[in-house]
Amino acid sequence: MQAITIQNLSKTYETGKEAVKNLSLSLEAGEVFGFLGPNGAGKTTTVKLLTGILTPTSGTCRVFDLDPQTEANRVHAVSGIVTEHAQMYDHLTAMENLMFYASTFGINRSEAKKRSETLLAEFELTDAKDQKLASFSTGMRQRLSLARALIHRPSILFLDEPTSGLDPENAQRVHQMIRKLASEEHIAVFLCTHQLRYAQEVCTRYGLMDEGTLLVTGTLEELRTSTFSGQTLSIRADRLPAGLPFVSCGDSFYTTSIRSEQEIPDLIRTLVAQGVNLYEVSVKKPSLEDIYFALTAKQTEGF
Amino acid sequence: MKRLAIYSIIRKDIRGITVNTRLFASIWIVPIIFTVFFPSIFVFSIHMVPDDPDFIKLLEQFPASLQMESTDLSIIALIANYILPVFFLMIPIMTASIMAASAFVGEKERRTLETLLYCPLTLKEIFHAKVLASFLLSMFVSLSSFLVMLIVLEVEVFFLMGSLLVPGISWLIVMLLIAPAISLIAITLIVLGSAKAKSVEEAQQSAVFLVIPIILLFVGQFSGVLFLGNWVLLGLGILCAGAAFVLLLQSMKHFTYEKLLK
Repeated sequence: MQAITIQNLSKTYETGKEAVKNLSLSLEAGEVFGFLGPNGAGKTTTVKLLTGILTPTSGTCRVFDLDPQTEANRVHAVSGIVTEHAQMYDHLTAMENLMFYASTFGINRSEAKKRSETLLAEFELTDAKDQKLASFSTGMRQRLSLARALIHRPSILFLDEPTSGLDPENAQRVHQMIRKLASEEHIAVFLCTHQLRYAQEVCTRYGLMDEGTLLVTGTLEELRTSTFSGQTLSIRADRLPAGLPFVSCGDSFYTTSIRSEQEIPDLIRTLVAQGVNLYEVSVKKPSLEDIYFALTAKQTEGF
Repeated sequence: MKRLAIYSIIRKDIRGITVNTRLFASIWIVPIIFTVFFPSIFVFSIHMVPDDPDFIKLLEQFPASLQMESTDLSIIALIANYILPVFFLMIPIMTASIMAASAFVGEKERRTLETLLYCPLTLKEIFHAKVLASFLLSMFVSLSSFLVMLIVLEVEVFFLMGSLLVPGISWLIVMLLIAPAISLIAITLIVLGSAKAKSVEEAQQSAVFLVIPIILLFVGQFSGVLFLGNWVLLGLGILCAGAAFVLLLQSMKHFTYEKLLK
C-alpha cells in the first residue's frame, strides 16, 4: 500500500493566495521523501492538507488509503507530525509531556513510561526528563517534538522543517535519527525543508516546490539527468591543456563538461600524452542545490 | 482507547488550573463568599435583630410546613431553602468560566492546540473532553462548597439557636440535577466561544458579558420557582438536562480543524 497518494491537489486561502497548485505525487512506505522549496513554496500547506488540518480547494489526497478530510483522526493514529506550530506544554516536564501524548493515543501508563524512557534516551534527553519544558533550549524542544511524534510508533512521519533553529551538531543528530527510522523501522518520512544540503544526506527521493507548483520529482540521479545534460570534470594541472575544451578556474584548476564518466579515461590519456602534469582529477556531480537553482531559473525564464 | 485519551485531556486541563496556585485560589473566592460569608451574615443578623412584627405577619402567610419552632429558625430555614440554592446555580458557572474560556484559545495562544488536534480523537471528542474538564472542576467546587456551607450553617444555628436545620428535598434536585444542567449549558457555550475567539481575553469577555449575564437572568427568577414545589423543580431540571445534552451534541457540528486554528 502506498503511504501517500496526492492527485491534482490545490489549496487557495480565503485571502486569494494559491498555496498549492495542482499537486500530484505518491510516496511508498519506507521512503524518505524530501519535499523541498523556499519559505512560502506550499510545503507546510501540503502537510496540513495531508493531515486533515486544512480542507483542499480541489483534488484528493490519501494517507495509507485514508482520506484526511473525512477520517482525520484515523490519519493521526498512523502519523507522527512535527511542525513549527505544534508545541508542547511548558508547565509539564519532558516525561509528563510524553506520557500525556502517549495517553491521547490510548497507550496505557506502564507502556507509555517504557516508550517515553526509550525515546528520551534515543534523543539524549534522559538527563532533562524531569525538567519543565519552559527551561528547554530550541534544540531540546525540537528533539522532544520528534520523540513525541514517535511515541505511538507511527507508520508515517510528517516533518516540517525539523532542524530549523538547530545548531549543526543537533541537526546532524536529527538527520541520523530520520535515516535510522526509515531503514530500521520502515517508516515513511515526508520531510519538508529548505535546507537542501541536509536533505541530500537524508532523502531517498525528492520533490522540488516553488510558489505552490511541484517542479520535479525523482531520485537525485534522476533529477541530475533530467536537469543537467552532463557532469563537470575538474583537474589540477601545471598548465592549460592545448586543444581541449578546458576552462581555467584559477589556482591551476581547469574544468570541462562531460556527458558521462566513460569520457574520462580518454581525456586523461590525451593530457598525459601532451606532457601535462596532473595533480588532481575529480568529477563534480550537480548537487541538489545546483539542481534546485537551475530549475527555478528555468521557471523564471519561462515567465 | 478513546476513553483513555479523553480522560487524559480532562486530567491535563484540570491539572493546568490546580498547579497555578493563584488561579486555583481565585476560583475558591466566590464560593467561599457565597457559602460561608453570606450565610453567616444572615444567621447572625437574624439572631441579633429583634423580631419585626411585619415580618412575623409575612411568615404567617407561608404554608405551615415552612413554620419552625421559632421565628429565627423559620427565617433561616426560608433563606437556606429558597435563597441559598440560587447561589449554587451561580457558583459552578462562575468557577468554570475561567477554565472554559481558555479551553481552546488558551491552547492556541500557547501553540499547543495543533499538537492536541493531531491526536486520534475527533474534534467533537476533544470538545467534549474540554467541556467535561470544566464541568467536573465546577461540580467539585460546587459540592465542596455545599458541604462547607452545610457544616458552617449547622454549627452556627446549633450554637446560636440550639437546634439543627434539615435541608429540604429541593436541595437534592438543585445540587444533583438543576445546577449541573445549567452549568453544563453555560460551559458548553463558553467553550464554544473559546473555540471561536482569537484571544483568551476575547473569550473571557464574551463569557463574562454575554453568557453569564443571560444565564444569571434566568437564575435570578429561581427563588420563585423553588416555591412552586419539588415536582415542578424536577421537571425543570429534566428540561435543563435535556437542553444541555442536545447543546453538547450539536455544538461542534460545523467546526473544522481549519476554523479552529484560524
